[in-house]
Amino acid sequence: MSKIIGAVEIGTSKAKALIGEVSPSGSVHVVGMATRLNEGMRKGEIVDFRKAADAVHSALADAEKMSGTTVDEVYLAQTGSYLKGRMLRGSASVSSSDNRVSASDLQRASEEAKRRQPDNGRTYVHHIRTPILLDGRIVQDPVGMIGSKIDLGYWSIDGDDQAIKQALHVISNYSLDVKDLILSSIASSTMMAGPDLRRAGTLVIDMGAGVTDFALYRQGFVAYTGVIPVGGDHLTGDLSMGLRILEPYAEKLKIEHGKATFDPMEEGDDVWIIGNKTIGDRAIPRKAITDVIHVRIVELFEIICKELEGLLDPDELKGGVLLTGGASLLPGVEQVASKILGLSVRRASFPSGIASELAQPENATVLGLLHYGLEDHSLPGKKKDDADVGFLSKFRKMVGLCAQD
Amino acid sequence: MLDSLANSEKWLVFVPKIEKYKPNNDFTTMSQESLFPKETSFSLPNDLSGIRAKVIGVGGAGISLVDGLRFDNFESVENLAVDVDNRALSDSIAGEKLSFGRRHTRGMGTGGEHTVAQKAMEEEKDVIRKKLDGVDIVFLLAGLGGGTGGGATPVIARLARDAGAIVFAFVPLPFSWEKGRHKMAEGRLSELRKIANAVVPLPNDSLLQMGGNDATALECFAEAGRYVSKGISAICSMVFCRGMIDVDFVHISKAFNRRAGRTLFGYGQGDGKDALRQAVRELLICPMLHLPNVSKAADVLLIQITGGTGMGMAALQQVSTEIREEFNAGEHVVFGAHVDENMGDRVQITVLGATDLEAGTKVVDVAPIASDIISVIPKSKVAHPSKLKQKKGNPITNENGKKHSSKNNYKLDQNTFSFMDAENQRGIFGDLPSRNIYAGEDLDVPSYLRRGVKIGI
Repeated sequence: MSKIIGAVEIGTSKAKALIGEVSPSGSVHVVGMATRLNEGMRKGEIVDFRKAADAVHSALADAEKMSGTTVDEVYLAQTGSYLKGRMLRGSASVSSSDNRVSASDLQRASEEAKRRQPDNGRTYVHHIRTPILLDGRIVQDPVGMIGSKIDLGYWSIDGDDQAIKQALHVISNYSLDVKDLILSSIASSTMMAGPDLRRAGTLVIDMGAGVTDFALYRQGFVAYTGVIPVGGDHLTGDLSMGLRILEPYAEKLKIEHGKATFDPMEEGDDVWIIGNKTIGDRAIPRKAITDVIHVRIVELFEIICKELEGLLDPDELKGGVLLTGGASLLPGVEQVASKILGLSVRRASFPSGIASELAQPENATVLGLLHYGLEDHSLPGKKKDDADVGFLSKFRKMVGLCAQD
Repeated sequence: MLDSLANSEKWLVFVPKIEKYKPNNDFTTMSQESLFPKETSFSLPNDLSGIRAKVIGVGGAGISLVDGLRFDNFESVENLAVDVDNRALSDSIAGEKLSFGRRHTRGMGTGGEHTVAQKAMEEEKDVIRKKLDGVDIVFLLAGLGGGTGGGATPVIARLARDAGAIVFAFVPLPFSWEKGRHKMAEGRLSELRKIANAVVPLPNDSLLQMGGNDATALECFAEAGRYVSKGISAICSMVFCRGMIDVDFVHISKAFNRRAGRTLFGYGQGDGKDALRQAVRELLICPMLHLPNVSKAADVLLIQITGGTGMGMAALQQVSTEIREEFNAGEHVVFGAHVDENMGDRVQITVLGATDLEAGTKVVDVAPIASDIISVIPKSKVAHPSKLKQKKGNPITNENGKKHSSKNNYKLDQNTFSFMDAENQRGIFGDLPSRNIYAGEDLDVPSYLRRGVKIGI
């Protein structure tokens, strides 16, 4: 019996819906996917609810039609500059007389960590567990081991209530439940950076239209995530102002001729704005286009560098930096990033097994949602219980679903 | 209310004088029909109108702008340089000079303290009042980042308005990396906007984008000075010269009898066979129109075209329609066309527009916190600007005694004017209610402007 699961990303330029079929063996088949332009969002925040909802709903409807099934639960990606991450830590002393760690010790440490409430008007979006320390040593699964003290932490992201509610509303208006909120940067990084890379330490930067998300992994765990409210739209805006042209033409120039670094070979080269040399068309030096983009990209990576101050140790990040997201398609962006971050930077590639039409950088987040959602993130020792409960409830829903059909 | 009273009194004084020359010219008919005036005459000096215009440079930057002014066709504009710094004044070539604040500064500078200059100017306002006596149009040129420019300019503007003049201000703003000065200048700018009839900001960030591709900073500033000259001479030639399509002081005074709000200002010129078209093309890419804090729509728009004898009527009409559409100007357009034999094949177009200060949403400026991105949604947002206020304070919308304009205006308000806020500097993100402040910088303002990188197009 296979399960059907959905993933939704409400992105600044596009809303994406993905439907996956999870076979009992655990492999996922994408059975439906649809993309709709989204005009209701700017810089990762919903500014026009109706437009955003329409885009998401029609993407969901198309994806359902394509797959021939319906979903009733989705994973929803969260991004936006209103999100803030911080490290919560908890500890517990081992309670049993023989000093063997039990699942309940872990549970207590976890509860202590999560006890700290977010500020007024904010809600936790996502808790991401960081390594468990048993008497100061990192252990994968301490249950059954001998020790006296357990430490664990969560990288916890909280966000503005209103903004989160709005995103949830978009989904609930389609009579869907949101199974879990997942941070966009976590989704795209789990997709693009495999477990080996994450263990080696890596920084994944997802350059979207409205915002740039990034997640830094050390020793296999998330050490930092962030959102910079600068994305591909800013390049378009800068071009529009710098070259004094209308936004649609700026967008076109960015996609066709945009580059992050200037190639001296192109000195003196011009490109036409519209291309048909009609009235209003004019030639623009390639250098002007590159100059506008270059300054913005440099600034973006400088901000990321500043945000990650002290964390960009090449010895800790042997996996280097991976770029993904629609704006990472910009030629030359990895050279600029490498120069500023002082690390090796490359474009992320999808793991094998993803159909080539899906394997586009702009799909990293939505594919990652499924990937992350299906991974097990519960505390060690509780694995089985959780999985059972989860599976049973899902199973029941599945039966209900089939009966309806 | 007081302002408009003062101005209506002014009109009583001047209307008869003007009617001597133009008995049929009524502002309310200034649209398509008036493109074809009953009589066409060529420009000739019209100093008989008795209208006086004065350019006042305040502080160092203002004085050097005044000294750099070059007018093509007339000399009837008076220059006045005002400063606390005696040395700066003595270097100036302005016709009249006024030093003030001796008691506070002993003839030296203010050291960037605008409060000093403001206080000194308030104390000595009678002196400047004398200089403003009988002046109808005041052009204020002042760098708002300086102490004298920032402090004295709003005071002078207020005194000039009180004396019944209309006040146009051209104000250079410091670079955004001069953080303290920049912030102060923005404060002075919004102060000045509440007083002057039109304020054209000239941010140094954007001035660097001017001139040819390898222009030096000095050349860019000189270029900016040329634009200011063009703006002033466009307004003056409207007032002082009879045109093919004539506009007079009352038109201008009526059109700009409002608080300044956002102003747009642009200039373009063309040459040769296709001069008019070329001028429009140059106007539309004029760097002054593409500053981050300039909107591309105007409540009221003044278009001035000067060309040689060969300028065709049909072409003029088409150009005026085009420009009007470009700036969503609706019906409040003051259109003037002048023929100048000296122009030959050349054509110059100058546009000056203003929007109402009350229109649009208020962008909330978030107190910058270092290394933290803040994005705040404002608590209260004016979705529908009060119509009552607008009608009261704005005689333009009440012309003809009808309220016809309110409907059109508000339709525009909703779509176009929502991003025309006094604090808006953010280009295509200007319509968003939140700002992206990161370490004191607004990330929505293009990086090349903030970093002073010149883009050669």
